[in-house]
Amino acid sequence: MKLWSLMRKEFHRFFHDPRLIVTMLLPGIVIFLLYTFVGEAVHTEPEKQNYKVFLQGESVTTAYIQAAIEANGDTVEWLPVENEADAGAAVEAGEAAAIMTFSTHFDDVFTDLTKTDGTVSILYDPLNEAGSSFYAISNAVLQKIGMKFSIQAVSIASEEHIGREVMQQILPFIIVCFVFSACMSVTLESVAGEKERGTLSTILVTSAKRSQIALGKIVPLACISMLGALSSFLGVVFSMPKLMGISVNFLGGYQVGSYFLLLLLIISFVPLIVALISTISTAARSVKEASAYTSVLMILVMVISLVAAFLPAIGDWVIAIPVLNAVVFTQELLAGALPVWQSLVSVGVNLLYTAALVFVMTKMLSSEKIMFGK
Amino acid sequence: MSEEIVRAEALKKTFTLSKKQQKIEKTGETRRIAVNGLSFSAYRGEIYGLLGPNGAGKTTTLRMLATLIRPDAGDAFICGHSVVKDPAKVRDEIGFMTSELKLEGFFTPDYLFDFFGAMHGVEKGVLQQRKRELFAKFGIDQFAEVQVKNLSTGMLQKVSLVISIVHDPSVVIFDEPTNGLDVLTAKVVTDFLAELKAMGKSIILSTHIFSLVEKLCDRVGIIFDGKMAAEGTLEEIAKGDLETSFFNLYHALKGETV
Ligand SMILES: Nc1ncnc2c1ncn2[C@@H]1O[C@H](COP(=O)(O)OP(=O)(O)OP(=O)(O)O)[C@@H](O)[C@H]1O
Ligand SMILES: [Mg+2]
Repeated sequence: MKLWSLMRKEFHRFFHDPRLIVTMLLPGIVIFLLYTFVGEAVHTEPEKQNYKVFLQGESVTTAYIQAAIEANGDTVEWLPVENEADAGAAVEAGEAAAIMTFSTHFDDVFTDLTKTDGTVSILYDPLNEAGSSFYAISNAVLQKIGMKFSIQAVSIASEEHIGREVMQQILPFIIVCFVFSACMSVTLESVAGEKERGTLSTILVTSAKRSQIALGKIVPLACISMLGALSSFLGVVFSMPKLMGISVNFLGGYQVGSYFLLLLLIISFVPLIVALISTISTAARSVKEASAYTSVLMILVMVISLVAAFLPAIGDWVIAIPVLNAVVFTQELLAGALPVWQSLVSVGVNLLYTAALVFVMTKMLSSEKIMFGK
Repeated sequence: MSEEIVRAEALKKTFTLSKKQQKIEKTGETRRIAVNGLSFSAYRGEIYGLLGPNGAGKTTTLRMLATLIRPDAGDAFICGHSVVKDPAKVRDEIGFMTSELKLEGFFTPDYLFDFFGAMHGVEKGVLQQRKRELFAKFGIDQFAEVQVKNLSTGMLQKVSLVISIVHDPSVVIFDEPTNGLDVLTAKVVTDFLAELKAMGKSIILSTHIFSLVEKLCDRVGIIFDGKMAAEGTLEEIAKGDLETSFFNLYHALKGETV
């Protein structure tokens, strides 16, 4: 009851302030515009795609892949591999989309479910439109079939489309920055502002529990900041076709899954950042002091996520590092992988850190040195 | 004598002085005993005044009574609840007012009354009834929907006062009630205190203003350096003139002339 009143107060203030609402919606709009216009400039999309794919080994699944491609109005041309080096060179030069290699007896798994040792590898250039689309589609189709065999992406990177690569890599960084500033704009004002103006002490005089006061700040502020995150997410979703060079609608189930994970990841670091800024704000003596500390934090987070953006294949230990985990797995998602358990564990880890911070803030609110010190 | 409602028993509070504070106060000491074994009693329906110079420990004492800070030693009981063992119960029995406690300018008196009512767990029906009565009594009703930041100083003061008693506390604790207020706003406050007394509330206030004590208080405690120098009814302490008695006491204790 008391918690509910505390939360409602934050929502009330937010929803009666048009300025704040605009602040929350802006990030997505900016991401969308940025990625649509820059994306357009970086590469031009062909009308119809004819995928030239070298095929080694055979499998019925190629028929499904072909069907998926044709359903999208494109075509595929399967080429035999005469000379591996030539085929590789063709992919590298962007003349062919990929080399797809099935292990012998790959299809056995369809008749005997224990034969799960079939593998398929796809060699492609992730920076080549046809290559990355072909990989995305094949991957989606094979995932959908749901049989157990391993899918390997062997990618080569040409320098031609370096622009798009950079954009893809810095997208998680941009998302983090926008989400951070969304969190900062509401939290600093609400927590440090209230402490500085003496309105927080007025609440401390009542019989509301300190934990209720902490949650009464962090929960609603996180919900509000999530609007900013949601807006960023939508910005990414709508600029995705431009970013990946493929249209969203035909990818079906697989794509929905990765969007869902992406959303979860983005959302998972919002409460964490809000809790961090709230804790800093509670400890600080003034809004000025709180913003100084928060700026340092923001720079730290920005540097971390920028570094993460350009470090290839960080180990799975990043799961334990808040925010960084979201950045890394967002990036993998954007590159077409589907790190399911890593993403879910990251979300859980971020929530754990948040809970710890709620506890710290409660302790701070109970500390006379922090609240009433000189 | 009527029922004892607040009892302080040998309250003690020591602060560690920060480097900054040592510099400001030009002192090398690292610890300051702000309140040093303070005991007193206040009775139902009376106004009790803690009178003392700057730094005597008035604010510290009242903050301990209001459970915002914990005594290092000793205890205080409000309506029988210990401030050390049962702070939540105490908070529902008291209304605490100081100039440091502010209301958020964005909200209206109506909203804030409901909000702080909820913070004290006041039942909805009771709360609405109380709001109507108190708003009418103090002339807040026409301003109930005006954002607090747009209210005049006097009206804002009234709203703060009314909100501090939203939960119908039996004891109201007031640190420096008229400090820094212009004469008109100060009158709003003293009238309010008289009104509270008429409503049967018990009040504890701190001040360094003699006239305020003479005008309002039934009982007085004089503190110097965190210790009770004298305590009794206004007549017992003032012996005709509060100011003269105060300085006599000061000289007797400190042996200096001011
Ligand atoms: N949080 C704190 N940290 C350190 N020292 C403190 C703290 N609060 C009060 N003091 C010190 O304790 C002493 C008593 O302070 P207190 O505020 O209780 O006095 P007061 O009687 O209210 O004085 P004033 O008339 O100035 O308000 C002062 O010397 C003050 O500097
Ligand atoms: Mg004081």
